[in-house]
Amino acid sequence: MLRRTALATSMLLIGALLLTSCTGSNTTPNPTGEADPNATLTVRLSLEPANLDIRHTSGASLEQALVDNVYQGLVTRNGDDSNAIVSALATAWAVSPDGLTYTFTLRQGVTFHDGSALTADDVVTSLQTAKDDPTIQSSSDLKNVASIASPDASTVVVTLAQPNIDFLFAMTGRAGLIFKSGDTTNFQTAANGTGPFRVESRNAGQSLTLSRYDGYWGDKAGVAEVVLDYIPDQSAATNAAVAGDVDVALEIDPELRGQIEGTNNFTIESGLTTDKGTLAFNNQRAPLNDQRVREALRLAIDHKALIDTLGSGSELYGPIAPLDPGYEDLSGSISYNPDRARELLAQAGAENLNLTLTIPNVYPTTIPTFLVSSFADVGVTLKVDSVDFSAWLQDVYQNHDYDLSFVRHVEARDFGNWANPSYYFGYDNAEVQGLYSQALATTDEQQSSDLLAEAARIVSDEDAADWLFLSTPLTAVGTNVANFPKNSLNVRLPLAGVTVAAE
Amino acid sequence: MIRYTLTRLGLLVLGLAVASVLIFVSLRVLPGDVAQLIAGTEATPEQVAALRSSLGLEAPLWTQYLDWIGGLIRGDLGTSLITGTSVASELADKARVTVPLAAMSLTVALIVGIPFGVLSALGRRRAGGTALSVGAQALAAVPVVWAGMMLVVVFAVWLGWLPPQGFPRAGWNDPAAAFRALILPALTIGVVEGAMLLRFVRSATLQALGQDYVRTAAAKGLTRTRALLSHGLPNVGLSVITVLGLQIAGIIVGAVVIEQLFTLPGVGRMLVSDVASRDLPKVQGELLALTGFVLLVGFLVDLSHRLIDPRQREAS
Repeated sequence: MLRRTALATSMLLIGALLLTSCTGSNTTPNPTGEADPNATLTVRLSLEPANLDIRHTSGASLEQALVDNVYQGLVTRNGDDSNAIVSALATAWAVSPDGLTYTFTLRQGVTFHDGSALTADDVVTSLQTAKDDPTIQSSSDLKNVASIASPDASTVVVTLAQPNIDFLFAMTGRAGLIFKSGDTTNFQTAANGTGPFRVESRNAGQSLTLSRYDGYWGDKAGVAEVVLDYIPDQSAATNAAVAGDVDVALEIDPELRGQIEGTNNFTIESGLTTDKGTLAFNNQRAPLNDQRVREALRLAIDHKALIDTLGSGSELYGPIAPLDPGYEDLSGSISYNPDRARELLAQAGAENLNLTLTIPNVYPTTIPTFLVSSFADVGVTLKVDSVDFSAWLQDVYQNHDYDLSFVRHVEARDFGNWANPSYYFGYDNAEVQGLYSQALATTDEQQSSDLLAEAARIVSDEDAADWLFLSTPLTAVGTNVANFPKNSLNVRLPLAGVTVAAE
Repeated sequence: MIRYTLTRLGLLVLGLAVASVLIFVSLRVLPGDVAQLIAGTEATPEQVAALRSSLGLEAPLWTQYLDWIGGLIRGDLGTSLITGTSVASELADKARVTVPLAAMSLTVALIVGIPFGVLSALGRRRAGGTALSVGAQALAAVPVVWAGMMLVVVFAVWLGWLPPQGFPRAGWNDPAAAFRALILPALTIGVVEGAMLLRFVRSATLQALGQDYVRTAAAKGLTRTRALLSHGLPNVGLSVITVLGLQIAGIIVGAVVIEQLFTLPGVGRMLVSDVASRDLPKVQGELLALTGFVLLVGFLVDLSHRLIDPRQREAS
């Protein structure tokens, strides 16, 4: 062991010397060899989709694997450019001044993976089905659509009943994905999209393999094959990276990053997400319907210390993430103050409180442990009820039977949940609801964003929940890999531009 | 012998029937349902209800149970609500990992348990025998997960001899890689189970050494070791078979844990994820198949006892 350490140290020293002499101050490893078009890119992911039916099955893992890679909509979003809306199957779009009519110009030369050409009819049928069939995921995103029509073969016109500034963003989601009209593919086990990759094979419990689609309308994918390797266990994932079994590992455990860095084969990157670690308070249930109690609980949490303990993440004190419109830095609004928390609890007559935290068991135990000791410090006894996600959906999400709950709300632009009193937060504020509907109805982006920011400030001021952190997961990118995307990888993983250097 | 076999077969079927009821009822106690999970956090209660009825989850429980049993009698284990594939074909697919893993683990357990158990008994007054016995006691107490992590650290991370996790994507089409992928997991289960077996074999051997027939044989001029080998071991073997039956169940439980740790796409991992996603028709099929397997092992153990031990045959 001693000899190994000595050897490693001397190797490091020699390496460091070589680096300083050759590259000066630039120590960022860059891909060394030429990009190999025949390469296979292996990416470690943690959550595996249960099947491939992106239209009917929920779960961010399906979008992560398939949207942009296999399936495409008229438009998509670029996470690395603040979630800007960019063209995909439409080359251009125009919005009428009243915000009611969206005219999309369809891209020519697009084919599905089965070889058939994309037609305007495919687009109209896809959108109409998504609107009419409530079992299609995000169908409600299109409920405001009045008509979908195709005046000519290269144009699709969508008319809304009322202006909705989020409509175009909704079109980047599942409801906007385009499928072949009358397709007979078994979508649970196979796929037929228009993206740069086709689904090659699926090994349930193990991996999903995508291969380059040579008939793709745009720049062909940079690698011949992508293997999405599903490794839920963190230490197994670290081992896989250390052993060189994967080129990229997403969501690595910050505690294990040293092991991966130790190989010198990876750069650790951290990107933004819209993933809000939300400590929900049941706003409808005593004593949490008392704002003093909610504020006290927020004051009892030292957010910086929690993030340090978790090893990654950044502070977030409101319901809107930095990648979404309406974000503003609310860090001044609340700060760690257990004395004030005890005072507020005393005022509310809520000393010696007993509360229960319902938390899905997929999250690290650091979070409940930290909360238990933070709350104990101000005289609140927290009982932790660790359940699986299905039980969480039933008890918390469906029946609203909880005091406190923790889940990560990964969706972008989901502020609407705070304007919906029947959502499980149980937060009911007419002013917030008014501001939100105004924000949707305006056609001016800046104005809309200002209105959202105002509404978000109210939600935060009323302590409707606590936002423990904004998740900024760590990605280990192999030094042989170039152009790997950075942001929002937990919901979007566009891999067409990624290249792998020849060995 | 035939009557005995038929009686035991009857018991096997009865055991399966009881198990089917227990499995069905106990799974229905779990909170949460698959429809909500498929529909997700964006769905309205009406959408979830529609999905639930289209999946056949609104039917009364006894109808669901009878449907399931009816399918079983026709040889149909049912269909997954989530993946849409047949439970039997997924089981067969995953068994290609789990069965070899269990067989390799059992081999390791036998190699560790039997020879070293006998050696440890024979040398119980020497340092080596004591060390074996103490070592086995310690190993048997080790949690499988910890043993697995230690093996990974040594053989995969430090030495780099074996893969730390995963199964080759080509599966058994790449037999060498598939075999290598199973070595560490099989060692993990096998060494821990083998240590338990060692302790059992040791005490059975010690007991045999004290028996009259071994002493008689020794008095006739055989060395103690030879007396044990020729007269004692067959008796040790009999009780070992019983213990092995139990250990096979232990190995299957171990496989569920170890498949998780090594991310092996086997029956255990499938079961864990199906429970989490409340794919109950699939879970009950999988559990019943596993129960059936364990009951079958018990049945075979009883039968082989009969065949090997003449005393039991005469008694019936």
